[in-house]
Amino acid sequence: MLELHAITAGYDRRAPVVREVSLTVEPGEAVGLLGPSGCGKSTLARVAALLHRPDSGTLVLDGEPVRGWRHQAPRALRTAIGVVFQQPRLSSDPRLRLADLIAEPLRATGRREEAAGRVAELAAPLGLTPDLLRRRPHEVSDGQLQRACLARALALRPRWLICDEVTAMLDASTTAALVEAIEHYRSTTGAGLLAVGHDHTLLRRWCDRTVHWDALTSSDGHTTAALDVPASRSAR
Amino acid sequence: MTSISDATSGTAAAEEAEEAEPVWRSRGTDRRSTRTIRVYTSATLIVATVLAVLLVPPAVQLDQQAIDLSAKLLPPSWEHPFGTDDVGRDLLLRCVHGLRVSLLVGVAAALAATVIGTAVGACAGALGGWVDRGVMRLVDTFSSVPHLLLGIFIIAMFRPGVWPVVISVALTHWLSTARIVRAEILSLRSRPYIDAAVSGGASRWRVTVRHLLPGVLPQAALAAVLMIPHAMWHESALSFLGLGLPTHTASLGTLVQSARGSLLAGQWWPTLFPGLFIIVPTLAIAGLAGAWRERLNPRRRSELML
Amino acid sequence: MTQRPEPPVLAVRGLSVRFLMPGGRQVAAVTDAHFDVAAGECLALIGESGCGKSVLASALLGLLPANARTAGRAHLGGLDLLTADERTLARTVRGRMIGLIPQSPAAHLTPVRTIRSHMEETVAQLTGVRGRAAVRTAAEAAAARAAFPAGHLDRYPHELSGGLAQRAATALALVGGAPLLLADEPTTGLDRDLVEHTVDELRRHVDVPAGAAGASPGAGSRRALLMITHDLTAAERIADRVAVMYAGRLVELADAKAFFGTPGPRHPYSRGLLRALPEREFTPIPGMPPELGDLPAGCDFAVRCERATDACGRRPRTTDSVACHHPYLPEGVRA
Repeated sequence: MLELHAITAGYDRRAPVVREVSLTVEPGEAVGLLGPSGCGKSTLARVAALLHRPDSGTLVLDGEPVRGWRHQAPRALRTAIGVVFQQPRLSSDPRLRLADLIAEPLRATGRREEAAGRVAELAAPLGLTPDLLRRRPHEVSDGQLQRACLARALALRPRWLICDEVTAMLDASTTAALVEAIEHYRSTTGAGLLAVGHDHTLLRRWCDRTVHWDALTSSDGHTTAALDVPASRSAR
Repeated sequence: MTSISDATSGTAAAEEAEEAEPVWRSRGTDRRSTRTIRVYTSATLIVATVLAVLLVPPAVQLDQQAIDLSAKLLPPSWEHPFGTDDVGRDLLLRCVHGLRVSLLVGVAAALAATVIGTAVGACAGALGGWVDRGVMRLVDTFSSVPHLLLGIFIIAMFRPGVWPVVISVALTHWLSTARIVRAEILSLRSRPYIDAAVSGGASRWRVTVRHLLPGVLPQAALAAVLMIPHAMWHESALSFLGLGLPTHTASLGTLVQSARGSLLAGQWWPTLFPGLFIIVPTLAIAGLAGAWRERLNPRRRSELML
Repeated sequence: MTQRPEPPVLAVRGLSVRFLMPGGRQVAAVTDAHFDVAAGECLALIGESGCGKSVLASALLGLLPANARTAGRAHLGGLDLLTADERTLARTVRGRMIGLIPQSPAAHLTPVRTIRSHMEETVAQLTGVRGRAAVRTAAEAAAARAAFPAGHLDRYPHELSGGLAQRAATALALVGGAPLLLADEPTTGLDRDLVEHTVDELRRHVDVPAGAAGASPGAGSRRALLMITHDLTAAERIADRVAVMYAGRLVELADAKAFFGTPGPRHPYSRGLLRALPEREFTPIPGMPPELGDLPAGCDFAVRCERATDACGRRPRTTDSVACHHPYLPEGVRA
């Protein structure tokens, strides 16, 4: 279970962008969070990925309350969550070759020996050829780079995936390919997914249920209740 | 839909033309040639300077300290291209020796200042919080004292010599590098790729050393290079004030300083040539650093990206 | 569209762009593109990121980097954009003949100046309006034309919502009364509602005759719009015709209604793109596009194509606006 309870977060305590938001993702469930740009959904995604400390509220991950964010969070907890961001160019270290980019989490967690094998294992189904893996970010297209970023997020076999507008910059075919790869990973590992975005059609097709940001923030005191109503189910 | 048929017939007409190799034209604003000239001129000057400094003193067995009072204050001639000074020493030789000392001071001080500045700036930027606030207040405090005054103060604690000058220059010049590095690290720290590294389990140390520092090193190196002339000027200023190197050690500063008297008497060469020796390497380094800065510019780097 | 055929606003013939890379390598960013855009028409140029469509736009605006080489012609109002010198491009083309609607309008506006100051500067630059009061009125009129609210004119770019920033950028692009509007990914990163809104407004500027703030040469005639996008939904909403680009080549040029509806696209790549939409099959095209620096000898799409045969080892000619050896027939379904 990934449980966000009454999260208030932002970059200025006086004007938080996220106010009292609660959201729950069951294990193995794919939840789509819909909202207009600038509404604060990305901040909520960062809180859920342990990358941004909320001003108040609690995050319970698999029954364990989270007490620290970023480097204050235990490594095992951080690596249980894989994150993919909107802009592949900004989310990849410009100096690393794609192979090193994907292997980085393995190296950072002292699993250097596994790296080569795991990179090959991750890259092949995403269509990343050895030639592409030798290149640096500025030598590949946005779509290819986003595939590498996804491979990096999956490198440590996370139990949870947070996808923040991952396909907003991509064309239809690459979008479909990325979603297919994520769904393949989830079906083999049972990982849960929180996908944040603004594309209704895409998220309804992709996720088990979608939640609209407005439903989370309507201040009637029953925000959690409003959530549990499945917004809409895709016809898969 | 007239336009479709238009396009179609256009396509068909062009089909035959397709066989022939198209005529390629160069487009775009090509500012490269002037830039290339600038880079080559700067590089040549720097190479010449370094060669002169390294090769001339051992190759020319003349003693730069040799005093010949019968030949004092001679204007430039074939025998003494830069003339002689007030005790008859050959100025060309003195200048090369002086440049040698000044460059040594400049490079050593710039290097030391960059190392200190990068370390301090990286700590402040990467750790953030109270460390950042404390360190930056310290930097502000140091900056509020005029550099030269601070330099003089540091010098006063040692006996005159080359290394006290290096220390004095280094300790007054790391502040700007620390600021640059900190600002750069702060901007990098908010990039999603740092988030991704944190999420991938990277430790604070690893994030700083593997992801943040490599990103600022080009900037720090650029700052270091630009600091070399700055440090040379600082040394010259200290020496000119009589606080840097002892006057018998030739440095560009001491040369200009000891030539003051003769300048008033109308002898221009003892000041002009050491002065040129300060200005020319400065311009050359600035020219090269400018080109380098343009290369670092991400816009130019992504220019070739599709 | 019953008027007599008038010459297209923009006529591109055999446009190619090569980048010379270090080590003598060449990147074929655009190869042999032929298309027209007529007045009152919107042509959507669609394709994946990195397929060369932005390079094509840069080539039309004369904004290619120094290592680029171009070939072919691109006629706009009696001028060949590909051979015109920088002075001509700066003085008569950008703003006056081509109005550019940028990808991220907020980043396109100077952050320290108000929208009014942007508008007034552009009006003074591009039109014959002189005198402070006249410029002010003309700027307000220009803002109104793009439905930019007058009450927001004194705001700074960062104080505007994404939609208003887009309108401000559109208003600026319209000031010069340019006969051709060039929109480069105008909807990237926008919400679906905002995408529809933006696209509808762009369509409106194509449909209504251009009436520039000053006495503009294009007044009275309608504008042409070339929209470069990877957003198929936006393209469907706005376009009269669609040009599909793959690996630097235009592989299909089709009527938008037929392309998005029945009988559907005829090039297998276009079919694949549509099939990948979440509102359709949501299945990706297998594989990835080839490198523009290392294109195959035959059809660029063959390795990913389910219809490929030995014939595809040769480069297909463009027949009937489709560059394919085995196109889907106009009637549709027969495979």
